[in-house]
Parts: sequence; structure tokens; C-alpha cells
Amino acid sequence: MMELKLIENILWIGMRSATPLLLASLGEIYAERSGILNLGVEGMMAMGALSSFVASLLTGNPWIGVLAGLLVGAALSLIHGIISIHLKGNQVVSGLALTMFGLGLSSVIGRIYIGNQLPVDARFLPVPFKPLSSIPLIGKVFFEQDPLFYMGIVLAVVLWFILNRTKIGIVIRSTGENPAAVDAMGISVPKVRYGATLLGGALAGLGGAYLSVSYNPAWIENITAGRGWIALALVIFALWDPIRALLGAYLFGIVEASGYTLQAIGYSQWLLNGLPYLLTIVILTVGATESMRRRMGAPAALGIPYEREER
Amino acid sequence: MTSTQWAALSIILLLVGVALGYLFAPTTTVTVTQTKTVGQAGQAGTTTVTVTKTISPEGKKIKAAFIYVGPIGDIGWTYAHHQAKEMVDKKYDWLETTHVESVAPADAAGVIEQLISQGYDVIFTTSFDFMDPTLEEAKKHPDKIFWHCAGYKRAPNMGTYFADFYQIYYLNGLMAGALSKTKKIGYVAAHLIPEVVRHINAFALGVKEVCADCKVYVREIGAWYDPTKARQAAESLISEGVDVLAFTEDSPAVVQVAQEHYQKGERVLAFGHYSPMEKFGKDVCVSGQLVHWEKIYDDILSKIYAGSYSTDNLEDVDYWWKLKEGSVELGCTFNQPINPKFVNELKSVKVQETVQLPNGTILENPDVYTLVMARLIQMGAIWTGSKWIYANDETFDPFTGPIYDNNGNLKVLPGQRIGHDELWSMQWWVENVVGPPLGG
Repeated sequence: MMELKLIENILWIGMRSATPLLLASLGEIYAERSGILNLGVEGMMAMGALSSFVASLLTGNPWIGVLAGLLVGAALSLIHGIISIHLKGNQVVSGLALTMFGLGLSSVIGRIYIGNQLPVDARFLPVPFKPLSSIPLIGKVFFEQDPLFYMGIVLAVVLWFILNRTKIGIVIRSTGENPAAVDAMGISVPKVRYGATLLGGALAGLGGAYLSVSYNPAWIENITAGRGWIALALVIFALWDPIRALLGAYLFGIVEASGYTLQAIGYSQWLLNGLPYLLTIVILTVGATESMRRRMGAPAALGIPYEREER
Repeated sequence: MTSTQWAALSIILLLVGVALGYLFAPTTTVTVTQTKTVGQAGQAGTTTVTVTKTISPEGKKIKAAFIYVGPIGDIGWTYAHHQAKEMVDKKYDWLETTHVESVAPADAAGVIEQLISQGYDVIFTTSFDFMDPTLEEAKKHPDKIFWHCAGYKRAPNMGTYFADFYQIYYLNGLMAGALSKTKKIGYVAAHLIPEVVRHINAFALGVKEVCADCKVYVREIGAWYDPTKARQAAESLISEGVDVLAFTEDSPAVVQVAQEHYQKGERVLAFGHYSPMEKFGKDVCVSGQLVHWEKIYDDILSKIYAGSYSTDNLEDVDYWWKLKEGSVELGCTFNQPINPKFVNELKSVKVQETVQLPNGTILENPDVYTLVMARLIQMGAIWTGSKWIYANDETFDPFTGPIYDNNGNLKVLPGQRIGHDELWSMQWWVENVVGPPLGG
């Protein structure tokens, strides 16, 4: 019985800590699928976390906080959009700059909020759905969570559906594969890419919001502590697919959380913790060949600015 | 203008600026000639030695720069150093300070050079990782004063300082042992370096003194600052049956976890770490450790100002300050060693032992509250009920033998204490710790 409760708790905390990874990687999948590589996830998450924390603190309503996180994340990604779509700049440089900018800005603005805590009614708390939450093993995991946790699952399914089963999805995927063909069809490549980049930013901001409004409802500098980079690794791990991102995020989270129990029985958890990243590297290595890359789903035009050929 | 012309113009402007700066800068040193008469034993007559020294004129400001490894807003290590720096800066009008935060160890030397070129003459580097770059810079700039926190390398113009918590961890352990119902106590550790191992061992010794069959379960998260991991580790410990948590990590995540469980009706208690964390867990934070770096900074800077510390006498200056100097304090918030919510419960648990206070008073089988207060007195920090009084007297040390490691080996003989060097290199667990294997 003790063991069952232990496993249940590991699943619960693992999946909770995976939610910001999931939200941010879902957004990044869309951006990358349209051909825009945004390495600014960490910065957008940090700013999303700060703005939603401040908005929740001031209004007492976590939903306004969520909205603030979405908007600020999107606003930051717009900078990246302008540089990489409009100015056709180097996306790697721009994304890295965005990360530094977001982390720096969040620490400067956040300075006056350091150590502040959200009052209980301004946070998202995990709420048990009785009696479902008392089902052994999976009850607590699926029926004692906060709204953003469920939102993550719903978003993963909806975004998968849009990407793979609708015309919008085809357009986004084609823009990342062969922008010239999309352009020839009379669809504006910049518009599609701006849209996907903004969605990416908004969801990174939402991931940040989860950290500061639900998971760790206090403002501390550098609250993301590298979660944005893990989300970027997760995109590759998930082979640019929202449903696989859902499974991958939970795998990352549960592996990390179970590491501490492994320590208890005398094993080092570092190898286990490194496993998801090892798999990511394997995927990157295997995917280095053109044919494999195609089959895995890496967008062909990822990171390449689109220039219409002049005649 | 072309870009070359722009560049040339900016260089010229820069040079003009530097020249003007030199011209109008006030001269800040005067030369004083001291004549000393030295008598030599066993010799008739005296030798007169004339020493010419360049010293600061009255009213000269001391410019001190602080280099931090983390962001000021971590609510942990760097935050505490920065608060202390601000306090000392406000206190003395002869003192001018600045700081550089989030400095990577690899950049430390460059940052020190920069600060020296800006005219700072006392440099504090506040991370163990800065030890070697600080020493190198100290050798390069023999006319500047350097202070390094948490290290052991010194030079004539470089001293070291540290505020150590192990006595307080021991006191927290006493309370944890009394308050745990499951007899399982959890410890979330950042990295298992000797400093953290020393603190966990001190904590476990306190636990054992009150509760012989209680165990301390240690989880290492592999980061000085990572609230997500600290939370995972704390939750995992709680699901294994732990009901009291202590930690070394620079965020209040562990205290928050305990408070969340309390609100759900499960009793999980916690001890704060480094800065006041009571507001993160008002119902669960029993006590904890707090730091007063300002006591050390005040002492160092005042002595530099008074002239007793200079660039040639710091080789053997090592501040290793503990309770009796007031550089560390027991409590989850300042001026409250124990959360009043737990005082009655602590008073209800008796410990089978005899404690003798420095004034000769003998306590037979004291309760845990009295024991904590008595141990504080024995370690030179007396809580009067409203404020702290310090006595430069230590009649008790937590690391007094017999102490066994968790493989059953006798590590400290009965009546012996562990010395400074052994404490600073500790790589074994005391008997009631269940923790990951330690290397070395």
C-alpha cells in the first residue's frame, strides 16, 4: 500500500513539474514547424512567469495572470518574428538574445517583488474531483490537478489535430518544408510564420505562468532555472509532434521525480536523469542524415529565412 | 562620416576624457615619515630606523566592491550577502560600495580587473569558485586588499571569511527529533560537498540526541538553486513517510511544499534556510538558520579603515564565525528562535541527559525547548526572550565523540571534538543518516 502511494505521488509531482515543459514545447513545435527556430523560450518563459505573477498579485485573479503571461510571451516573440521574418536575420542569434533579454528584464522588473507570495485565492491549486481522485494509482494523477494541467493535455490534443488534420495545419507544415510552394499558392509565408511564432511565444509565456501562479507561487529571480532549454530539447525528442510532446514531457517529468526515490535505495539518479537528453542526442545524431531527417519530421526550412526569388 | 572616422573620433574623445579625469582627480595619498627607535636585546645602544609610508589622509573613503556568483534576487546566498553589504554601506559615510552580480567563476578575474581600474581598493569575492582567480589577482595587485568567502587560500593582502551554520543545524536537529511522529526526517541537499555534509551530520546528531531511532533521509538535487527539483525531492520524501523537512537550497520551495501539505490537513513541518522564510510557511516553519554577513563585513571594513588590516598582514586572517560572534542566528525569522506554535510541544518532550551550563547550573533531563536554549548558551549565544546576547565562550560542540559513521565505524573517540580541517573536508555520514554514498 505504501509503495502504491509512493508511485502515485511520483507520477503526480512528475506530471505537475512537466506541465511548463509541455506548454512551452507545444508552442515551439508550431514555430519550428513553420520554419522559425526560436531559442528564446527560456527568456519568454521567465517574462511570462513574472508578468503573470504580478498580474495575479495585483488583481487577485490567476486567470488575469494567465492572460498577462500569454500576451507578454507573444509580445516578446514578436521581436524574434520581426528579426527573423521581416529582417531575415540569424534566428539562432536572435533567439539567444531573446533568452538573455527576457531573463535580464524579468530580474530587473521583478526585483521589487522578490520574496512576495501569491495569496491562496490568487493561485491555481490542485483540486480533487471526488470520488474519482481516490482511484488508486491514477486517481490523484488525473483528478487532483489545477486548471492549467488539464489545459496542457487539451492543448496537446487540439494542436495535434489542427497540425495534422486541418488545412491550417497543412499550410503551417508546408511553410516549414517548402515556403516557396506556399508562396506560389498565394499564401503569405510571413503571415503564417508570424502567427506560429506568436503562438509559440504565448505558450512559452503560459508555461512560465504555470511556474509562478501554480507550481511555485512566489517570485524568485530565475524561476525558470533552465526549463526553457529542456522544452527545446523536448521538441526534438518529440519529433515535432504535439502528442509525442505530451508523452515526452510526462516522461521527462516522471523520470526526474523518480530519481529521488532511486537515490533512496542507494542508486545514483544522474544516469537516469540524463536518459531523456541522451535520447535527444541520439535522435539528433540519427537525424543528421537527410533521409532520416525527412522521416522524423524535422522541417526542411527550419531556421532559413524565406526570400522570394526575384525575377 | 565613415565608420573608421567614427571610431577614431570616439577614441580621441575617450583619451581626452581620461586625461581630464587625471587632471581633476584629487590627490588621495600623502607621504608620512615615521621614525622608530628600536632597542635590541643584548646589545648596547639603539638603532634608529626611518620608515616612509604612504597612508590615507583623514576622511578618505574606502571603496569596496562585492562580486556575487548568483543573482541578488535568489532569496538565498547572494541575497544575504547583498543585504549585508547594503547595511554596512548605509552605516558608514566613509564607505563607498558597489557590486557585480551573476559573475561566472571564469569571468571573475576580468571583473576584478575592471573594478580595480574603477578605483576600488577592497574586493570581496563571495563564492568558493572565486578562490583561485581571487588569489591570482591578489598577487597581481599587492596594493589592494582582497577577501574571499568560503575558501582556504590566503595571501598577505588576501584574507578569508565564512559564517558557519553547523551549530544551528544541530539545534534544528534537536527540534526535528522531538517533532517527528513518523521518526523519518527528510533533508533536501543542493550538492553533497563537505560543507553540506557537515551541516547534515550536525543536524542528524541533534536528531539522534532527542530521538535515538529517528533517521535522516537525504536527497541530493544537484543544483544550488532549482525550485522545481527541490519541490520534487521534497514531495518524494513526503510520500516515503517523512514528516519533517530541512534543506540546503536557495529557494523557499521546500517550506512552501510543507505549508501546502499543512493546508490539505497533513502535518509536514520544515526548517527555513538562509533568509527569513516564515511567510512561506507560517504554520509549518519551526525554526531554521539565518545569516548576518553584515557582522563580518562591518568588522573587516572597520579594521581596514582603522588601519589594522592592510596589504601585508592578512596571510593568517581567517574569519570562521559562528553563533558566539552573532554572524548566524537560529530562527525561521529574525528575533524569534522558535516559532511559538511549537514551543508547547517541544516543552512536552524530555531528553534523558544532564547538561551543565557555563555558570554551573545543572539541568537534569531537560525538555527539548530548554535543551535548545541551554545549548545556545553553551555555544555563546544567549536568547533573553526579546534579544540576543553574545558571550565569547564555547563549552559545547555538536561534533563531540563518540560519533559513529553509518557503516558502524567509530569516527570520533569519546570526549574528542572534530577539528577545523576535518570539518572542512567531511565525506562520511553519521550513523542515523540514510543518504547517497559519498565519494572520497
